[in-house]
Amino acid sequence: MKLFEKLVKLSLNKRLALTAAMLGVTALFVGNPYHGAKLSVDKAELALMVQKESDQISPIEIAEWIIQNKIDYRLIDLRDENDFAEYHIPTAENIIITELGSSSLMRNEKIVLYSKDGIHAAKAWFLLKADNYKNVYTLYGGLNAWKDKILFPRVSETIDNSEAVKIAEISKFFGGQPQNNSQTETAAKYNNPMPKISTPAANPLTPSKKKKKEGC
Amino acid sequence: MNAPYYKFGYFNDEVSLIIAFIIGIGFGFFLERAGFGSSRKLASQFYFKDMAVLKVMFSAIVTAMIGLYYLSVLGFVDLSLVYVSPTYIIPQITGGLILGVGFVIGGYCPGTSCVAASTGKIDGMIYLLGVILGIFVFGELFAWIEPFFYSTPMGKIILPELLNLPYGVVVFAVVLMAIGAFAAAEWVEKKTASKSGGN
Repeated sequence: MKLFEKLVKLSLNKRLALTAAMLGVTALFVGNPYHGAKLSVDKAELALMVQKESDQISPIEIAEWIIQNKIDYRLIDLRDENDFAEYHIPTAENIIITELGSSSLMRNEKIVLYSKDGIHAAKAWFLLKADNYKNVYTLYGGLNAWKDKILFPRVSETIDNSEAVKIAEISKFFGGQPQNNSQTETAAKYNNPMPKISTPAANPLTPSKKKKKEGC
Repeated sequence: MNAPYYKFGYFNDEVSLIIAFIIGIGFGFFLERAGFGSSRKLASQFYFKDMAVLKVMFSAIVTAMIGLYYLSVLGFVDLSLVYVSPTYIIPQITGGLILGVGFVIGGYCPGTSCVAASTGKIDGMIYLLGVILGIFVFGELFAWIEPFFYSTPMGKIILPELLNLPYGVVVFAVVLMAIGAFAAAEWVEKKTASKSGGN
């Protein structure tokens, strides 16, 4: 009580000084206010990963994971909302690069990033790696490669070897269409309509989408 | 929604000018209320008779520091987007000395001269003319001064990085410095008051 009486008797100046002092002492324990906006990287580790290409995952691999209903990874589409609504790889979540930091991604999750051609994803990869996300990968070649290798792969007209059959099957699973050798690559890219999202979404694998809604 | 609002694009250039205008009026109002529209009050700082300038400046620094620190810790301010002007140590010390000499001779700093001029003080208006003339001369001579102006660059440094201390420790140290400075200022004021009382 005596202490309290003393506090009441203090002049306004002294009370302000005391408040400042207490906030200063608290600051000792609160720490850094930058919220990790400034990052540091292990340049040797990152350079080595890029050199060995252990930071990339091929479209075929992703396609197989999706077909096998694997759920130990999160597939992130970095393109904007409209592009995402038009078409995205099944099971993908839409997070743009500026929102990666505040998204529900965890540092110990396996994260696969993709963008249109892979450049944007490579930049996002660097940001996440610098921010201590452990298992981050990019889709090799981005969505363009997904179109070329999975949706509209070029297989020879005489489907006789097992590899070509497999590729054709994967392509059909995702609503795509294998292309004949006679068609040029550009024709495949531009003339074929992208599959409706609903077709591959028959795959009952959308565990992380609920999380995203909570985030909003 | 978190700050800095302008950098996050919550409003455009025009709105930012309106907001700057309102903040400027507030700044001038409180300078005037603190008595800083009078060159006598300001000059008595240099005779250690009235340490109000030191107290106001230091409490402004401490208030802003504690405010920004805790607001960013709580996530209301993104400190990495707050502008830090780059340090050019020798030219900035020189500039500080020139400003200090002007302050002693004229009895105002640029901000307080505006306050004095707007409350109708003639010395404030003359000082303001001097400020405008100085800006003009500086602008015209800038090509000559430029190499010196950009010499000894140290980049955007802040105390925690320069001293390699944790952020919180620097906050604590500056608060301690401020409280020490206030105590010393009061002590000096009492001393000079008793001296002049003895005369």
